[in-house]
Amino acid sequence: MEYKSISRKLVALGLVIFATSYVVAQNITLSGYIKDEHSKESLAGASVFSTNYKIGASTNEYGFFSITIPKADTLGLVVSYIGYKPQAKKLFIKNSLRLDILLEPNAAELSEVVVSANRNDNNVNRAQMGVLDVPIKSINTLPVLAGERDLMKILQFLPGVQQGQEGTTGFFVRGGNSDQNLVQLDEATIYNPNHIFGLFSTFNVNALKGVSLIKGGFPAKYGGRLSSILDISMKDGDKENFHVEGGIGLLSSNLTIQGPLEKGKSSFIVSGRRSYIDLLTKPFMPGGINGVNYYLYDFNAKLNYELGKNDHLFLGYFTGKDNAVYTGTNSLNFNIDFGNTTSNVRWNHIFGDKLFSNTSLIFNDYHLGLATDQGNYYSMLYTGIKDITLKSDFTFMPGPNHEVKAGFSYTNHTLFPGAVSGKIPKKGNRLVVNPDSIAQQYSNEAAFYISDELKINDMLSVSYGIRAPFFVSGSKTYTFVEPRITAKLSLNETTSLKASYTEMNQFMHLVPNSTASMPTDIWLTSSAKVKPENSKQIALGLFKNFDNNGIETSVEVYYKTMTNQVLFKEGTQITLKSNIEDMLTFGDGNSYGIEFFAKKNFGKLTGWVSYTLSKTTELFPDLNYGKEFPFTYDRRHNLSATAIYELSKRWTVSADFTLYSGSAFTLPSGKVFVSDEGSLYDNIYYDYTTRNNARLPIYHRLDVSFSNKKHVKIFGLPCEREWVFGVYNLYSRQNPYFVYLTTDYITKQPVAKQVSLLPIIPSVSFNFKF
Amino acid sequence: MKQITIIMLLSILFLTACEKDISIQMPQYTNRVSIQCGLEVGVSPKVFFYSTVPYFDITSLRQAFVNGANVKISNATETDSLIKDSTYNYLKCEFEYYYQGKTPIKANQSYQLTIVSKGETYKATTKTNLVPVSIDSVGYTQQFSDIYGEHEGVIPYFHDNTNLTNYYRYEMKRDIDTTMKYREGKIYSPCIGGGKVTVLELGRSVYNNANLSNSQIKIVIEPAYSHKAGMVGIVRIRTIDKVTFDFFDQLDKQKLGQTNPFVEPLFLIDGQFGKKAVGYFGSIVRSAPVQFIFPE
Repeated sequence: MEYKSISRKLVALGLVIFATSYVVAQNITLSGYIKDEHSKESLAGASVFSTNYKIGASTNEYGFFSITIPKADTLGLVVSYIGYKPQAKKLFIKNSLRLDILLEPNAAELSEVVVSANRNDNNVNRAQMGVLDVPIKSINTLPVLAGERDLMKILQFLPGVQQGQEGTTGFFVRGGNSDQNLVQLDEATIYNPNHIFGLFSTFNVNALKGVSLIKGGFPAKYGGRLSSILDISMKDGDKENFHVEGGIGLLSSNLTIQGPLEKGKSSFIVSGRRSYIDLLTKPFMPGGINGVNYYLYDFNAKLNYELGKNDHLFLGYFTGKDNAVYTGTNSLNFNIDFGNTTSNVRWNHIFGDKLFSNTSLIFNDYHLGLATDQGNYYSMLYTGIKDITLKSDFTFMPGPNHEVKAGFSYTNHTLFPGAVSGKIPKKGNRLVVNPDSIAQQYSNEAAFYISDELKINDMLSVSYGIRAPFFVSGSKTYTFVEPRITAKLSLNETTSLKASYTEMNQFMHLVPNSTASMPTDIWLTSSAKVKPENSKQIALGLFKNFDNNGIETSVEVYYKTMTNQVLFKEGTQITLKSNIEDMLTFGDGNSYGIEFFAKKNFGKLTGWVSYTLSKTTELFPDLNYGKEFPFTYDRRHNLSATAIYELSKRWTVSADFTLYSGSAFTLPSGKVFVSDEGSLYDNIYYDYTTRNNARLPIYHRLDVSFSNKKHVKIFGLPCEREWVFGVYNLYSRQNPYFVYLTTDYITKQPVAKQVSLLPIIPSVSFNFKF
Repeated sequence: MKQITIIMLLSILFLTACEKDISIQMPQYTNRVSIQCGLEVGVSPKVFFYSTVPYFDITSLRQAFVNGANVKISNATETDSLIKDSTYNYLKCEFEYYYQGKTPIKANQSYQLTIVSKGETYKATTKTNLVPVSIDSVGYTQQFSDIYGEHEGVIPYFHDNTNLTNYYRYEMKRDIDTTMKYREGKIYSPCIGGGKVTVLELGRSVYNNANLSNSQIKIVIEPAYSHKAGMVGIVRIRTIDKVTFDFFDQLDKQKLGQTNPFVEPLFLIDGQFGKKAVGYFGSIVRSAPVQFIFPE
């Protein structure tokens, strides 16, 4: 019955979209790819604009466009893309035409910030809202930590996005937990996008082509997470020339090589990074020393073949791993090993000139093994995930006023979570989690969707769609219908008002431990006991650009409700015999906030400022006496500012500043004497009144970086070299990593101790590009 | 030079975690009271009536005793008015205060506790109908693992001899001196000097006889203090009622969450006194004592 109802809704919406799509006659269609003139790399998000009819289209994530317009004797076309010289064309055609267009990169290094003729007005004009396109070039100009430029760091400077505690991985969007973000690299899910301590992400910036963060108004194409989609695409590789670029830093080095396999037809890119502190210190570490050992690496590879005019094949591979042993202070000892590996095959096919398809087969393997000591206690956990995904997406562009998307996806999940904790034995062995002996959980997730981006008139555009996810775990099946709608009302050429409503469901859950300092989190799937998480979000935004789009501003407000949120029950201690599902408790959350954003794109000084005022609470019947309590990452204020100043042709200085309210955590409010002497209670017990009743100190930090670029010859080859001098946490603020309680030995009074991780850290790195 | 470079690199990389004491701004805390009383047949009642204090308050907990309360314990035929009394705790070097009654508790009676203090009245009832168990023997193990970790253990064996649901708690009385250790830490007590003091160790965990009715029960208890070979302890098993069990069971789980950072904190649920007070008013009965000599 449920299936029938969902099918009917999908078919009904499909008919509506089909009927409204075919009302145009006597038209011609221009379609094709827009590419970089030199590398033949396709350009996603490039604009094609008909000067005759004042209508336009954008290329999709694979660089393909299709624009259907009425016939005319002469067609004027302007093709543009940020960082490239705009190209104007006059076409004398009577019939539809396949047209691949090559754009020439702008000569200036910081072309994004100096080209004023072609500034991007996507933020105002597209119907979508809650989308943040992360400029890759900005990543290359922002301050670095230990010489490493990083994508995740830049995300945390955007409105509505928060980083976790310093030293933890993950990010938090609009009151959602870190597991509520879907991070995809070339459509493959990355379960942990950061290296240890969250110092930097697993993505090598040199290999990235585009990054988009969607935090509201989700297109129907995406699902499976409540709070955000981080869509990352890798470069395809230069189809014309070989390039080598890399960087040498204090902590690690990276190298990226790309070039043609068959000129103009196919290419490859490989990119790797490895830290070498373990190699450097090895000769100096006495055997068996119980101290520090750490390495990380990540490796990307991608091949692409143009099989013909209408077919394109991509093969991708990514692997990243961290392994660290640290024995330091009493409160911070750990041994961690985690990694993601993905591989994918994607096939683009163009049917006629209006229908584009992409079919992907994706393999994913993630594991996290963590052993932590804190005080006299230890914890071990292992969580593993293996996914196989098959998906197909279709984009149909029947006319200038429609872009219809439809598709399906299927994923088979295998999870094996296990954990144990206890007191450190004085002698003998600890209990260990053996990954091979953990019971595996199997589940299947599928979804169908259809959506249309409809331009009703010059003022009003609507993006509407529906997604129907299905989830099967054992004998339990969940089915849902998720409506998605975003509307844009253009008030004038530079101002628009947008509103959106979206529903999302999530079947994979990361259950956070509320007290431990290390990431003692465990992934689980939905089941008969663990219901899917659900969110409903409404958002309203005002977008206004100034100075010929040189200054972008926006204000967005949102309200989000979340159900079936998962936490551990009070007093939970996981043992090897534990059934983790029995230790969970479920509740709801809601979040609302207002986000301000202003960005300057031109001139010598560029950058942006964002401020978010938000509140997020949770309500669990079995926690906190059934009363509402603040979400751990409920931070009322979140301010960040980023500035890049071009001192000269060679020198650039950049700085970023971030400040946010402290995270919430739980402390006893009161204490009382227990009469029984001599027991192991210390004669004290605690009166907890509210969960998350205390706040960590405010976090703030300033980073500064200087870079010097010069074109030189190395080994007789022309090369662009760059020295980067950076200081992380310039005024060495001791920001909180975590706080723990202890008792003063003499006074017997409780004392709160704050552990901080990252003081001032200078760095120097050398980058080169042949 | 290379080593200096390495050290610098390590410092930068692993950024030796910096720790410091901080003061945390806590929300306003409204004190409430704690009432603890376990009636034992043949023994005059003792009520510990304390106020809770803010967590970071430096007040000695024993100073949080609630003075001036009107405390009464009554059964069908008589009422005992309790008065403030104290015992000096040589281990802690301070007085412990409580309200002390005069009339020994009788078996198989219903008792009511009534406390009137600062305009509030606290009431609870209990019955003194518990049946003692007898200890079969007491053993010892050097090494035992449970959710608290790996530790040595004193092992009383006793028979659950009724068909009722029963709850149990261990106790041991022995003499210690400052050469011993409390858990892993040194005993700091200038009041003992070189002498000895008698301590009562109560088991941290409480047990019920679910699925064990009428069979022999074995429990392994981690001693609070270290010992020397030949040290003598007097072991008893307390039979306790459900309210006493529920209260101490919560404390046990809460303590685990306090010491083990991987255990979720536990909020105390309301007991006999509702939201007005935490604590319990229950009854206990103790088994006959058994002497135990630490074997090593």
